Amino acid sequence: MNDLCTDIGFNSLNKYGEELCGDHVEVVEQGENSMVIVLADGLGSGVKASILSTLTSKIISTMMAADMSIEDCVSTIALTLPVCSVRQVAYSTFTIIHIVDGTEAEIIQYDNPEVIMLRNGESVDYPTEVVDIAGKKISKSKVHIQEGDIFIALSDGAPHAGIGVTLNLGWQRENIIDYMKTFCHVGFTAKTLTTMLLQECNKLYGGEPGDDTTVCTVKIRKREPMNLVIGPPSNPNDCGKMMSLFFSKEGKHIVCGGTTSNIAAEFLDKPLRTKLEYHDKDIPPTAEIEGVDLVTEGVITINRVLTYAQDYLRNNETYKQWSYKKDGASLIARLLFEEATDINFFVGMAVNPAHQNPNLPINFSIKMRLVDQLADCLRKMGKKIKVSYF
Amino acid sequence: MKLTVCIGSACHLKGSRQIVEQLQKLIAENGLEEKVELIGTFCLGTCQTGVSVKLDETLYSLNPEDIKSFFEKEVLAKL
Repeated sequence: MNDLCTDIGFNSLNKYGEELCGDHVEVVEQGENSMVIVLADGLGSGVKASILSTLTSKIISTMMAADMSIEDCVSTIALTLPVCSVRQVAYSTFTIIHIVDGTEAEIIQYDNPEVIMLRNGESVDYPTEVVDIAGKKISKSKVHIQEGDIFIALSDGAPHAGIGVTLNLGWQRENIIDYMKTFCHVGFTAKTLTTMLLQECNKLYGGEPGDDTTVCTVKIRKREPMNLVIGPPSNPNDCGKMMSLFFSKEGKHIVCGGTTSNIAAEFLDKPLRTKLEYHDKDIPPTAEIEGVDLVTEGVITINRVLTYAQDYLRNNETYKQWSYKKDGASLIARLLFEEATDINFFVGMAVNPAHQNPNLPINFSIKMRLVDQLADCLRKMGKKIKVSYF
Repeated sequence: MKLTVCIGSACHLKGSRQIVEQLQKLIAENGLEEKVELIGTFCLGTCQTGVSVKLDETLYSLNPEDIKSFFEKEVLAKL
């Protein structure tokens, strides 16, 4: 056990004209610091492939997380998968990345493009051993992980991108490595790296992918705690208690809400300086308090952060906005989505009488729901979330 | 002279930004950058009544439409 953790991001392009993706990624947490990530690519495309890959990834991830051997997993799959009536085989290729205790990555691969490993901006050729399990040639590797390592698992739709459209032979593994190398120093999240690679594949396919294409990026990073307080406590006498708990936490501190920032400023005995620049016309300006990393307005800003979070989990279109803008919502989005791994929410339950005006879209229940939904989205991003109410 | 505009949630929804922009324009047009300091603040505690604007220590509740007359009557007159 150490302070390394995994940032995992995956997404797929469906074969042109298909509603379902024949690839499937499954992530299962195994205790505190271990993870099983499985990318399966089912034979064919459409619903049949989707069933094969879903079953394969579900079975493997569940069994691996329960500490069963790869031999058991593979034989179970061979016995369980429905046989394709056209081809008379039950078949789904797979890649397993098993992060053990935050110290080691076990990579098990069967017929998918070889997992790319980047360390310090260079591709690493990790040693592999091929074993025969139930007649299938399975390659196994073990590598010690360190901060900044990036593993990229692919379905064959990725190296095949552009075959016959823009490139004669598709996009070779080396080309993908070269493409990804240029980004790995920037500090993009796994999800962003995944999105960039998929977009490039889509471009090479001319917007009409010839095969299901899936990318799953696993980035090894340090744990980064973050704390966000929103709303004054329901009992005004608890202000001091809430603030001292909040500021005693390790990591960065974000204060959201007008009244809340006044309370924080008072607690820290520092002036609150509000700015007047509207970087986004709909988001109120941010402020500064010495000792606080970010001070923003409350409900409107968080509402926008939630929109970004929901989009991040889908296709990450709004990344183009929040990745560089300086309004409160974009700043919070960058801190929570990109920097943080463990987030503590301190939610004050005081009812702001001004917000109970039926003409304003910001009443109390909306505020509570916003925080719940945001916490949910962040959990889906793989972050550890704790919410405390005051 | 200090002009403080609330940019908290409620006031934001009632038009703080338009008010800030109009005031910035009016101050520039009248060449008052040296004399009038425009600052933002979070909640001034009178959220119910509209956008809270403080002229030195006097509190006003304003709509974006009122700004021009407010500026002429209150700000310019008191300079």
